[in-house]
Order: sequence, then structure tokens, then C-alpha cells
Amino acid sequence: MAQTPTADWILNKVDENFGSDNKIIVSEMVIHGRRGSRTIKSKSWIQGRDKSFSEYLSPPREQGTKMLKLEDQLWTYTPSTDRTIRISGHMLRQSVMGSDLSYEDMMEDPKLQNLYHAQIIGEEEFLDRLCWVLELTSKGEEITYYRRKIWVDKERYVSLKENRYAKSGKLLKTTEVLEVFKAENRWIPRKAVFKDVLKKGKGTEWHILSMEFNADIPDHVFTKASLRR
Amino acid sequence: MIKFLFKGLFRDRSRSLFPFLVVVAGVMLTIIVYCWIMGVTSDMIRAAANFDTGHVKITTQAYAEEADQKPNDLAFLGLDELLKELRKDFPDFVWAPRIKFGGLLDIPDEQGETRSQGPVIGLAVDILSPSSPEWDILNLEKSVVRGRLPKKQGEILISDDFARQLNVKPGETATLISSTMYGSMATANFVVVGTVRFGMMAMDRGAMIADITDIQFALDMADGAGEILGFSDDFIYPEVKAEEISQVFNSRFQKKDDEFTPVMKSLYKQGGLAEFLTLLEPIVGGILVVFVGIMAIVLWNAGLMGSLRRYGEIGVRLAIGESKGHLYRSLIAESLMIGFFGSLLGTALGLACAYFLQTVGFDVGSMMRNATLLMSNVMRARITPGSFVIGFVPGLLATVLGTSISGISIYKRQTSQLMKELEV
Amino acid sequence: MMLIPRLALRNLLGAGLRTWLNVFVLSLSFVTIIFLQGMYSGMLRQVSDATVDAEFGGGQYWQANYDPFDPLSLQDAHAVIPDSLNNLIEKRKATPVLIVQGTLYPDGRVMPVLLKGIDPNQSFLNFPSKSLAVDNEELPVLIGERMVKSTNLRKGDSVTIQWRDANGTFDARDGRIVEVMSTIVPTIDAGQMWIPLQKLQEMMLMEKEATIVVIAEDLEVSDNVAGWSFKDIDFLLTDIKQVVKMRTIGSSFIYVFLLFLAMLAIFNTQVLSIFRRRKEMGTLMALGVTRLQLIRLFTLEGALNGVLAATIAAVYGIPLLVQLARNGIGLPGDFMDQAGWAIGSRLFPSYGAALVLGTTLLVLIVTTVVSYLPTRKIAKLKPTDALKGKLS
Repeated sequence: MAQTPTADWILNKVDENFGSDNKIIVSEMVIHGRRGSRTIKSKSWIQGRDKSFSEYLSPPREQGTKMLKLEDQLWTYTPSTDRTIRISGHMLRQSVMGSDLSYEDMMEDPKLQNLYHAQIIGEEEFLDRLCWVLELTSKGEEITYYRRKIWVDKERYVSLKENRYAKSGKLLKTTEVLEVFKAENRWIPRKAVFKDVLKKGKGTEWHILSMEFNADIPDHVFTKASLRR
Repeated sequence: MIKFLFKGLFRDRSRSLFPFLVVVAGVMLTIIVYCWIMGVTSDMIRAAANFDTGHVKITTQAYAEEADQKPNDLAFLGLDELLKELRKDFPDFVWAPRIKFGGLLDIPDEQGETRSQGPVIGLAVDILSPSSPEWDILNLEKSVVRGRLPKKQGEILISDDFARQLNVKPGETATLISSTMYGSMATANFVVVGTVRFGMMAMDRGAMIADITDIQFALDMADGAGEILGFSDDFIYPEVKAEEISQVFNSRFQKKDDEFTPVMKSLYKQGGLAEFLTLLEPIVGGILVVFVGIMAIVLWNAGLMGSLRRYGEIGVRLAIGESKGHLYRSLIAESLMIGFFGSLLGTALGLACAYFLQTVGFDVGSMMRNATLLMSNVMRARITPGSFVIGFVPGLLATVLGTSISGISIYKRQTSQLMKELEV
Repeated sequence: MMLIPRLALRNLLGAGLRTWLNVFVLSLSFVTIIFLQGMYSGMLRQVSDATVDAEFGGGQYWQANYDPFDPLSLQDAHAVIPDSLNNLIEKRKATPVLIVQGTLYPDGRVMPVLLKGIDPNQSFLNFPSKSLAVDNEELPVLIGERMVKSTNLRKGDSVTIQWRDANGTFDARDGRIVEVMSTIVPTIDAGQMWIPLQKLQEMMLMEKEATIVVIAEDLEVSDNVAGWSFKDIDFLLTDIKQVVKMRTIGSSFIYVFLLFLAMLAIFNTQVLSIFRRRKEMGTLMALGVTRLQLIRLFTLEGALNGVLAATIAAVYGIPLLVQLARNGIGLPGDFMDQAGWAIGSRLFPSYGAALVLGTTLLVLIVTTVVSYLPTRKIAKLKPTDALKGKLS
């Protein structure tokens, strides 16, 4: 007979499902702008919150552009200029390619357990799945979103919906998953929509085409040299 | 009788030359000052027009609403088509497409990594077309501090202070990081071929000028522009015309419900210039009245002089039997002629000088640091329709007035006294 | 030799209308020159004063990383206010301002905005910060009319403001517009919102920190404080001064012309006068007056024109100019604004003593010289010819 699990336990399972030492993700971002939508395909190597390397694969204008994030420093390389440019950390807060996500949002893969206290505040159905609704409150200081609310699939321990809040409690961003799939025995969102709630617009869609967990990522990937490779 | 008077004027130089010269000089001065004032006031408008508003400006409706943020995602596309139509429909205007943008300028070291970097405000204009009006509009040639002007694609100018701050010299590479029209990151390499001075602190801190085709490519704005500035081809703001063509343009091009249709606004409508110009008028008017007034008095004196010298002659004529009235009228007629021809010559000379001052101008460069893009160091006059006539007001009026008043003394004098003054 | 001046004056006044007209014209030039010059100094002073009153104070200490032209630098441009400055603040001789980058969401649009925190009870900057001294849970916001235009917000409205605190954590609140200020200084209005300093410091987790510290006007400051650099008023006013300088040069040409024309009038009169009075000159010479004395006489007459002109100018000029200086000249508010000028709707000319005295002296000197020139003919005058009425 299963007892009602604790919030921490659930969060742990979520991190187990999705968390890993590193990830290699091939994804597409569909950005809805005022002048129509565009699709950008990229491949990213992410290690925790501190190391991230991305390469853009399409469309042709973006192809070959690479970005490296090491802690709070950001570098970019574009083949058209053959330049490695250091972008100040301030840029991390700017939106990627005009989407609703910032560089931070895209290039960090935090373990929620490390950052948040959790509390179960209810149960709801989402996407035809029964979910626990957890409220997460920041454990420490250095955090981007002070509070989050996540809807966790009771069976699969994948987060299907997430709300991110400001310190004041104001809702800032939402993520809604549209489809999930199984990879390496884990449940991953295949399609999700990010939305910056404060502004008008249709938000940004994210399609994960493939995800590898705990792959063997050589160290040199997270160096400036690999930008020029 | 006119012939007689003419002969008289011509033959007795001492009688007519002096007043004539005075009229010429006075009228000339009046014209020059008038045109000068016109020129100086239009200078104020010029800086704003050249840099920002044009005489008319075309942007999309959406862009106009958020113009401060240089929202290139709201720029319009179809530039070539639009320019063709503009040049066909409004041939006496000069059209200059522009893109304003912002971003970072990054200077590489030998490894191609960041040596120095700074935020930059960008202005993309057509500097490479041989017949581009932008060279004059932006006073490019005179504002170069170091290096030279761009001659081919990929070359840019940056503000001199900015160049010093980034420690970049003409000939070195700089990379622009900005965003494309669609929000993607845009990067492009340029060669800094020269530095300029803008004359405005915000721009001198960090600004660049690039060719519009380069920026269209870099920001993925093919065949696009953020704004098109239109100038009348003599570069003097045509109040009525600008409004007219705006209305014609808007009625033709504007589509409801499409925030991306181009919309044209005249200089007036872009901010409070209209009111400012209205204010200027009385001030200018006041100055001119003073001036013309002074002129009038000078010429009156001249008129007096003329009459005084001729008391002898007047005496003789009266003695011969010419009626006082007739004499008086002939004097007036003479002064009218002097006034008219003097004004004519004076206006011609005055306009010639004003024209010189308009085209060549007066270079105050020695008193200021350097020529700047925004405020030319050359002060210019401006010839307006009014300047053709304005000389005649003091020229004619004053001379005639002077003569008529001094002529009155004719009625008072006794013939005998006049004879005495004949110096026999 | 009291005779000459008295004679000169009598002659001058005796000429009646002609003299007065000349004098009047000369005085007009006088007044116009002073007026124009006054207008430009007035312009400069007005803009400077307004900006100094509302924004610059007596100068500002800038945190070392602060760069008003680079909004990205704001993230690092704040530090704990050092003790020496705190002393000044406590004595109410300085007030700190914290400047932070934020985002405004009026109507679902995204608008970057500068959030500026100021002590609502500060007393020496001229804008209604007191309206921020609201004692409730709400976030009071003060904006200017230009912000109203670009955001369509009105007094009483609430609007969502988002920012990131010192740790980078997102925060967002609804602020309520408690006051809309009408200011002629665009640089405290466009693109920014004012909120109480303490609230901003709390929101940003930047307690006791500031970006700039504004010093009161009557304070003498010299030292640089570690980590902060002092910007004096001259530096802060550089741009404005440059523009006014340009304008002034342009108008000086008008002065030259005005003066020139007035001198032409005087010259003319002198020639006329000499011509008319040759018999008189002849008579005087026959009576023993030397040529030199004659020259002096006529020159003095001419010069007296200048004196009389100055007097007349004073008579109508002073009340006129004082009136203008007091009531100002109506201006359309918008245009100057577009250029970033804090002038507002009335321009008040300002006349310096140097200006008035200088102009007066200049006019007097030039008048004297011009009066002298035609008199040189007298030097060649032969009394016998003159008596007959000829001018040799």
C-alpha cells in the first residue's frame, strides 16, 4: 500500500527522471513573432547550471553559430565573421533569438531538489494524466525564479506543466507540455510551449528531437577552442 | 518729362550719385541681413531634419508608435518598389532610406577574440551610391576626424571618441553584434575606415555609420528599411508641399488593419516644430522691422541730402516760372527713379552676396572644434521669395519720403533766398 | 573749453527731429543687440537652471561603473554608500539615487524602463518626490508627462513592472501611478519611473546602496571618494553649452549688421550736417575757431548721438527688457523638448551687466569713430570758400 509520498520524494523522482550529469539535446524552437513564425534547430551539450555548449543547425542564416556558457560568462562564435565574441553576463538575461526564453533559461539545467523546498498543494488532471501539484520555494539566494509550481505526472514523474513566479508571487512564465515520449527509460517532453505571461504574443514552442543522458562529453567541448572547431 | 528727368539725373552725377549709392548700399544690406536671418533660423530645422525627421518621413505605422526603441522588427519591406514609386510620383524630392539599430561593437585581438567592446548606436544610410544625397545631408566629408570615408561595402565610420575608447584605429576590424529583424542574433564584420564627430554626446559616445546594403544583409532586412527620409531637392523645408505629399501618399498607401503599411509624416507632424516655426516668425519679423526702419532713416537722410544740394537749382526753376507743385512732383519723380533703380541694383547685389552666403556659407570652423555631422560649422544665408521684394520697401519708401519732406521746404522758401544760395 | 561740448549739444538738439530720429534708430540697434544676446544667455541659464534644479543638483557622485549611456552597465553600477557621503546625506546636503534596469508591461507591450529610487523627502531637487511618501503596501510610482505619452498610463493606473534583484532573481509587482509630474526637464522623465528609494533598495536586495549621489547646490566638493567619481556641473552641462555657443555665434553676425547700418545712418548725418553748415563753419573760422576745434565740435556732435541714443534706449529699453525678462517669451513646449532641452513654455532673457556695459561702450566708441571720419574734410577747409558756401 503506497503511502502518500512527500513532496521532497516526488521532487527527487522528478530529478531522477529528468536529471543527469549531462545531456545532449537536439531540438527545434518555433518562435512566434509579430511578422510570422520561424523555426530554429540546434544541438546542445549541457552540464548542470555551469557549462553549456550549443550549435545552431538551421536555418542557413543561423547554421554554424555556436554559443558557450561557462558559469556566468557567455561566448559566441559565428562562421560569417569567424569571430569569437565575449558577451557580457548581462546578455544572459536577454531573449534568445527573440523567443520567450532567455539564454539562462535555455542554457541551464538545474536540479530542482538542490534549489527548492517542495510542498504538495494538490492533485489535478493535466493532459489526461493525474498529477501532483507541487509548490517549490527557493532554498537560497542565487536563483532566477523564486517560486515555481509544477504538475508532476503521478506515474511517470515527468513535469507536464510549470509556472514560474516572481518574488512577489506574480506569475511570470508558463511551460505547458503538449506531448511526451520515452528515451533511455525516461519520460521526456517532446513538445512544450513557453510563454512569457506579461507580454502579448503566442509564446515559443520547443520540440525535442532527441535527448541523450549522461553521454560521454569530452571536456574540450566546454572550452573556447570548440567554438572554432 | 521722364526723359528730361533722366537726363538730368545722369548728367549731374553729384546730384544723384550719392543718394543712389546710399540706396544701393542700404538695400543690399537689408537683403543680406534678411537672407542671413532666414538662413540661421533654418539651420535649427536642418539639424533635426537631416538626422531624424527629414522633411517627410516614411515608416510603418507600428514602427512609428515605438520609434524610440528602433524596432526593426516593425520595419517595412519592399524598399526598392517603394523607392521607385516615390521617385516617380514625387520627383522633386530626394529620398533617403535609413536603418537605425543598436548593438555591440566588438574589436578583435590577434586571436580573433574580444579585445574591447562597447554598446553602439547605428545609423545605416546609402553612402555608396554615386548619387547618394546622404553625403550632403550628413555633412560627411567635413566631419571626418581620422581616416577616410567608406568607399566600398564592409566599411564603416565610428565616432572618434568611441574609437579612442575602444582603442581602434582606422583600418582595423570591428564586429557588430545586434539582432536581425526577426529577433535572431546578427553578427557582421566591418572595417573601420574613418572616425567622425557627431556633435552630440550620446552619439559621440558610441555610434557608427554603415552602408545600408551592409546592414540590410547583416540584420536580415533584405529590401527593407526602418525609415525613408524625404527632402525637397533644394533642401529648404517646403511647408505646404510636405503636407500635400504626405496626404497624397497616405491616402494611396494606407491600408486599414495592417500595422505594416507605410505612413508618411511631414516634419511638422513629427514633434512640435510647427509651433516653433510659428513662434520664430514674429521674432524674425521684429528684427526685420527694426532693420528696415533703420534703412529707411538712412535713406531719408540721403533724400534730404539730395534736395539740399539743389536749392540753387530749385531757386532758378521757381524764378523761371515753374510751379511749385510741378517742381515738387518732379523732385518726387526723380527720387522715385533713384529709389527704384537703386533698389534694383541693391537687390541684385544683395542677392548675389546672399547667394554666395547660401551656397558657400561662412565657415565658423575656426571658432568651434570641428565640423560635426549634426550641426554644420558653415553658417548659411537663405534666399526666399520675400528677399526679392524686401529691398524695395526701404529703398523706395524712404527715398521718396525723404524727398517729399525736404521738398516741403520748397513751399516755404522765398524765391529770393533760393537765388542767394545760388552762390552767384 | 566748455564751449565746444555745450555748442555741440545745442547744435544737436537744435536739429530737432532729425537728431531724434537718428538717435532713436541707434537706440533701437542698441536694444535689439542686448535683447538678442540676453535671449541666448537666458536660454542657457534657463536650461542649465532647470536641469540643475531637477536633476544635477550641485554635482553628482557616480558609482565607478555607472555610465548613463550604457544601460547594461547598470547591473554593476551600484554600491554601498560610503560613510563620507552618508554624512552629507544625513546633513541633508546630498541625496542618493539608485538606478536599475527594469521592464514595463503597459498593455501587454514590453518596454524597457529605468527604475530610479529616490528619498521621497529629499528637499533640494525640484520635482514632486513627496508624492512617493505613501504609507501603504502598494508600490507608488511617479512618472512624467512624456512617460504618460509613451505608455498611455494615467494617474491612478496600475502597471506591471518586472526587474531582477541583486541575485538575479526575477521579481515583478504592480506599481500604482501616484503622481504625474509636469517637468520641463526631459531627462528625469522619458523612459523612467521614480519610486521610493527604500522600497527599491528592498526590492533589489541592495540595502544602503545607490548608483549616484546628488550633492546640494551650495556645497563645496573637491575630493573623490573611493569607488565613486565626482562629476561637476560643467561636465554635466557640456552638451547644452555647446549648442548655445553655436547659436550665439550665428547671431553675432546680426549684431554686426545692425551696428553697421546704424553707423551708416550716423555717417550720413554727419556728411549732411557738414555740408549744410559750411557757411557756419566758415563764419566760425573767421571768428577764430581753429580747424581742430571745428573737428572736435562735429565729432562730438556725432558722438553725442551715441550718448543720447543710450539714454533713450535706457528710457524705453529698460522697462521693455525688464518686462520681457520677467514675463518671458512664449515658446511652444514640444520642439525644444524633442532636442532634449529643458526650456518649457517660456523663455526668460537674462542680461548681464557685462553685456549691457559692453554693448554701450562699443556703440559709443564706434559712433565716435564714425562721426570723426567725415570731419576730416574740415581740415582742408578754407574759410573764404566756406563763407561763400563752397566746400573745397
